[in-house]
Amino acid sequence: MLQVLFDALSLGSLYALGALGIALIFGVMRLVNFAHGDVIAFSVFALLWPSTDAVAIVFAGQMPWFLLIPFILAVGAGLSVLSEIVVFRRFRHASPATMMIASFALGFVIRYFLLMLFSSRPKSISLLPALSQPVEILGARMPLLQLITILATIVMLFALSVFVRKTRFGLEMRAAAENFTMARMLGVRANRVIMGAFALSGALAGAISIILGAQTGTADIQMGGAVMLMAFIATVIGGLGSLEGAVLAGFLLGAASVVMQTVLPPEARPFRDAFVYGAVILVLLFRPQGLISARGTKERV
Amino acid sequence: MIRTRLLTGLSALALTLTPMTGAMAEDADGNIVVGFATAETGFMEAYDKPAQDAAMIRIDEINAAGGLLGKQIKVVNADTKTDRAEGAKAGLSVLDAGADMVVVSCDYDFGAPAALTAESSGKVSFFLCAESIKAGVQGVGPHSFSASVLAAVQGATMAQWAYEKKEARDFYRLLDTSYVYNKGVCDGFDWMLPTLADAKLAGEDVFKNDDASIAAQISRIKALPKEPDAIMLCTMMPGAVSAIKQIRAAGINSMILNGSSVDGSYWLSAVPDLSNFYVPVQGSVYGDDPNPDVIAFNALYKEKTGGDPATQYTYPGYVMIDVWAKAVERAGSIDADAVVGELEKMDGEPTLFGPRTFTPELHHQNKARYLIAEVKDGKPGIVDEWTISEPVPMDALLK
Repeated sequence: MLQVLFDALSLGSLYALGALGIALIFGVMRLVNFAHGDVIAFSVFALLWPSTDAVAIVFAGQMPWFLLIPFILAVGAGLSVLSEIVVFRRFRHASPATMMIASFALGFVIRYFLLMLFSSRPKSISLLPALSQPVEILGARMPLLQLITILATIVMLFALSVFVRKTRFGLEMRAAAENFTMARMLGVRANRVIMGAFALSGALAGAISIILGAQTGTADIQMGGAVMLMAFIATVIGGLGSLEGAVLAGFLLGAASVVMQTVLPPEARPFRDAFVYGAVILVLLFRPQGLISARGTKERV
Repeated sequence: MIRTRLLTGLSALALTLTPMTGAMAEDADGNIVVGFATAETGFMEAYDKPAQDAAMIRIDEINAAGGLLGKQIKVVNADTKTDRAEGAKAGLSVLDAGADMVVVSCDYDFGAPAALTAESSGKVSFFLCAESIKAGVQGVGPHSFSASVLAAVQGATMAQWAYEKKEARDFYRLLDTSYVYNKGVCDGFDWMLPTLADAKLAGEDVFKNDDASIAAQISRIKALPKEPDAIMLCTMMPGAVSAIKQIRAAGINSMILNGSSVDGSYWLSAVPDLSNFYVPVQGSVYGDDPNPDVIAFNALYKEKTGGDPATQYTYPGYVMIDVWAKAVERAGSIDADAVVGELEKMDGEPTLFGPRTFTPELHHQNKARYLIAEVKDGKPGIVDEWTISEPVPMDALLK
């Protein structure tokens, strides 16, 4: 039972971090950033030296952990901010659908850039191997990484909520999320807020890539895709634009996935995701606005 | 309007294609033509290229020894761009260039469009390394073959070998449902397991290749009263690395068995000091093959391509040209039906990578000699050799 709880929390952490990254950007500019998954992949590949050989040439990945982790977070944040400056800024006044298509296009550009440098062959990397030790907690045995994932996510979520609630920048961001035009009129600098949101979102993508990289030992140009999809669904059921909702839904999705895997009979297990998505549809039927709907997105009369 | 234009276009296409389907025995210079409709770009390239390089080595050898039926073998290429629609076009393109035999992409799904094109022109086609029964009579047609060994044979080989040589009795089956290949490996395992006295299935579970975590599956293994002797893992890259890493990180030390898809040392850095891990391989890329000719082949491959073979999937390319050329030689012609007839007569035909058998029902290997590669303390090496006691039956293959 405890084991299931830990499994659910660790998978949920990944989805929650992903969902938060998407919700942050959606909040300030109504953009569903489908390039988020490719930022995740890019951050992992930043550790390798470009080569199309089967064997990965680890470059930046050899740094000690206290440099490595900030490095990946910075790479994610950097790429994300760069994509805002180069691409999304030009679409500021475009419709959300246009921006979404642009984000798809950007995702492809990033992916094919990686394909060009590294080839499509998944690379194996040993990222923070010390985390692959089993530890025992309250009778549940699990990899150290799983524990660290849960703890790190909780710390990050806590830090982020303090940041959003207690700092001026956080206040501006929340104001922008609620009513962007009004916030600008009241003196919130749009570029600064949007770039901040992209930087935070990118850093969250970097955090996911550290966890994924350490967990799977693989750098694959498509690796961000699966998490991105789940994270996107989490932001939708959480209520688009709502940060708390995204995190809550991320954890719920992770829990649903783990619980289904545990309780379904063997014959039904291959269709686990169908059950998970079925549950998602049910949630949306009863709460089309999401679990916690953001104030800014509500229809006004 | 558009529809009529499309129809006119299609009929025009059909008209231009008709003359091409006629028997075109050889090209204008009197050479025999082998057409490679394979991926030169896209993700399949990583799989097609090594096998194709190996095929070229055999073609060069044959040409150097005077050719086939006294003629030189000429090669034409067309890129499938790892795209199914492009695959059919690439097939047409090499047939157009006079191909007598069409080599198609490694994977069934990506190779089939070109193979079907060859089939409809009545030409022999070979999948570079497809391991599904569909890559042959069942999926493409009577002129289609695969150069590799069925996935089911790999699962059956590992089950029987672990039972006989490692005294494994409690098996756990962990299937990655993302690809048909994986199911094939587990189907072979499922067929073999009941034939092994007092071996039993301690449990089973499934996951998906891109699952971010298989923690729930691992918890189920750990909930067993006793750690299983062997885990039959039916998966492929890149999910395989992730699964193996997570199983070991959770402190499960059972023997892990898998199909050939995870052969190679390129991924071992991700699971430092991995031990007790076994895969079946057609030949060794680790320089310790029991057959010195394979070691010589590896050296030649390195000379031609600048690197050692990365995985055993290099070898089927060589086997493919080898058996096809022998069949052409025996038939005394490159007529497709005559060549197919000779190929189907092969029963335990010796090749550099073990004997090969083709029958009118099965253009694939349902039994094969495999070397067993073990990874111990992070180092791979060949430790044994195994051939399953009887071929995997058709009903297990068609499951």
